[in-house]
Amino acid sequence: MQTETSDKILLLGLGNDILTDDAVGLLIARQLRGEFAGDPRIVIHETQEMGLALLDFITGYREVVLVDAVQTCAASPGTLHELDADGLKNLTGRTPHFLGVGETLALGRKLGLAVPEHVRIFAIEVADAHTLGTNLSPVVQNALPAILERIRATLRGLSR
Amino acid sequence: MNPETQKVWNQGSAKANAAYQGLRRNVTINPITRLEGHGKIDIFLNDSGNVDRAYLQVPELRGFEVFSLGRPAEDMPQITSRICGVCPTAHHMASTKALDDLYQVEPTSAGKKIRELVYNAFTLEDHALHVFVLGGPDFIVGPDAPAAERNIVGVIGKVGLEAGKKVISMRRRVREITSYFGGKVVHPVLGLPGGVSKALKVEDLPRFKELAKEGIEFAEWTLGVFKAIVLANPDYVKLITSDAYTHKTCYMGTVDANNKVNFYDGMTRVVDCNGKEVCKFTAKQYRDFIAEHTEPWSYMKFTYLKNRGWKGFTEGADSSIYSVGPLARLNAADGMATPKAQAAYEEFFKTLGGKPVHHTLANHWARVIEMIYAAERMEQLINDPEITSTDVRRVPTATPKEGMGIIEAPRGTLFHHYQTDANGLITMANMVVATGNNAARIAMSVDRAAKGLIKDGNVTEGLLNKVEMAFRAYDPCLGCATHTLPGHMPLIAKIYDPQRQLVQELIQG
Repeated sequence: MQTETSDKILLLGLGNDILTDDAVGLLIARQLRGEFAGDPRIVIHETQEMGLALLDFITGYREVVLVDAVQTCAASPGTLHELDADGLKNLTGRTPHFLGVGETLALGRKLGLAVPEHVRIFAIEVADAHTLGTNLSPVVQNALPAILERIRATLRGLSR
Repeated sequence: MNPETQKVWNQGSAKANAAYQGLRRNVTINPITRLEGHGKIDIFLNDSGNVDRAYLQVPELRGFEVFSLGRPAEDMPQITSRICGVCPTAHHMASTKALDDLYQVEPTSAGKKIRELVYNAFTLEDHALHVFVLGGPDFIVGPDAPAAERNIVGVIGKVGLEAGKKVISMRRRVREITSYFGGKVVHPVLGLPGGVSKALKVEDLPRFKELAKEGIEFAEWTLGVFKAIVLANPDYVKLITSDAYTHKTCYMGTVDANNKVNFYDGMTRVVDCNGKEVCKFTAKQYRDFIAEHTEPWSYMKFTYLKNRGWKGFTEGADSSIYSVGPLARLNAADGMATPKAQAAYEEFFKTLGGKPVHHTLANHWARVIEMIYAAERMEQLINDPEITSTDVRRVPTATPKEGMGIIEAPRGTLFHHYQTDANGLITMANMVVATGNNAARIAMSVDRAAKGLIKDGNVTEGLLNKVEMAFRAYDPCLGCATHTLPGHMPLIAKIYDPQRQLVQELIQG
């Protein structure tokens, strides 16, 4: 088990690549991986796993940025929610992927794993995450450039 | 996707969405009902303030068949395993078995054994996850503990740090087997029509033998934890055996030639509420035995036993409703094929008053017994001289037309069914998932729980907790939402008076 921490920053995209908007976190990770390929401090991964499996990915990093889809229906699709692990409790909505980040971190700490000190979460409000499909809905697709820009700026800030 | 298919898909999707919106408007009183992905319970009261009927609404995946149309059948084990990050291996295996049937090819003996080895490793891991992380904390931490504590962290608080370490370590090591053969855990690329893609090397045997041995120890330790915490507590036992969580329905599970539980292969057997065999069928025959019923209040399909006909949400000797999953498998079989699991099986039925057991919450105990079987079966297979044979695949030569496959997913019987053209391109695809097989009984459980907890207009404290326990014991796969840490699906109960006016709303996030 990993108990050492590196100074690198992990961006982890979560989602399902065949559930329409649920893929948005994966698509963002893919896009940014190319852009940050030359930055030795930034590591970008994507995964379709969730819950306990997140421990395998996030241990060993001091700073982690998660990108995922969410459906609170309290905001219009395409809205970007920015949260920390505690803030998740206030985000009443559905994401199958990171609802338990707080618990995952608590578990990791109890087990003596090198869980991140900071977890920042970008949750994108989506329109449809229940229909099988490989294209984003138009409203989320249209919002993507601005969302990417916001996350890109955050990564640049962290890497400085 | 080709444009024609895309068009059909878009039209279908628009229609389904419109119908769904229309249906939803009838009950939308407060904006909070728009929260999709929440489990939503609508409770309708009668004039005396008691429950007339309670309904559970859950999100469901849409568009599977349309998405599959025109794709090569060989892609289906990969596509279906991508639908869900929780039970990828179950879909992968059911799909692979459907391809065997589609291409009319019998897998080689070693190919079958490798599939079964991987499948049992997966089941052991998935069951362990449920016991310690998802549904089990209800008991290990306590049914009346706050929701925020009923999770793996709470389990560690009660059982000790060692529990957490064991769970994490076993989970990782069991996954080594899946990735050894399948490359990836989430989307295994293992099954091919007629066998598997990789053989087991002789030099790798020792570490797998060691893992199987540790798996058995882990499963037995888990049974010990369950007994010490749950069975030794009279209040818990009372809860498990209480009427609120008891339904006399039929049970379905796959059995081997000796009617012993088998997760990978065999005949699918159904017994009635007295334990008498109702039917036994192969994958090919599933449509002769299973039919689907729809209700205006749900977009779920409720499966039932075709030869008995739909008789509503009723229980008893004539009931056509059946249940699947750990408890159902134990009820539908005559025993376990391995010694330690058999001993645990006998103790289970002796303690709970004989076969069949009708207590939904006994699923948690049954799941632990199945963990022992899965680990013991792994050991049997890994010690089978044929497991290292290189003859792992028979290449199919027949022209494909139609194929069906059945597997016992951790949460219950799973059916895959495809039809193709002569080139093997999908023209029809259907799945009946475990949660669909359990849907009718889950609906009954939710209704029963609500009826017991609302009396004369008074809602008992902890209503949502108890209702949630009623359906979580089935380990339902509800659009994946139940499988997040800590395994709690955000839940809303809306209570309506006889005039259909919302009188109370309870939320648990």
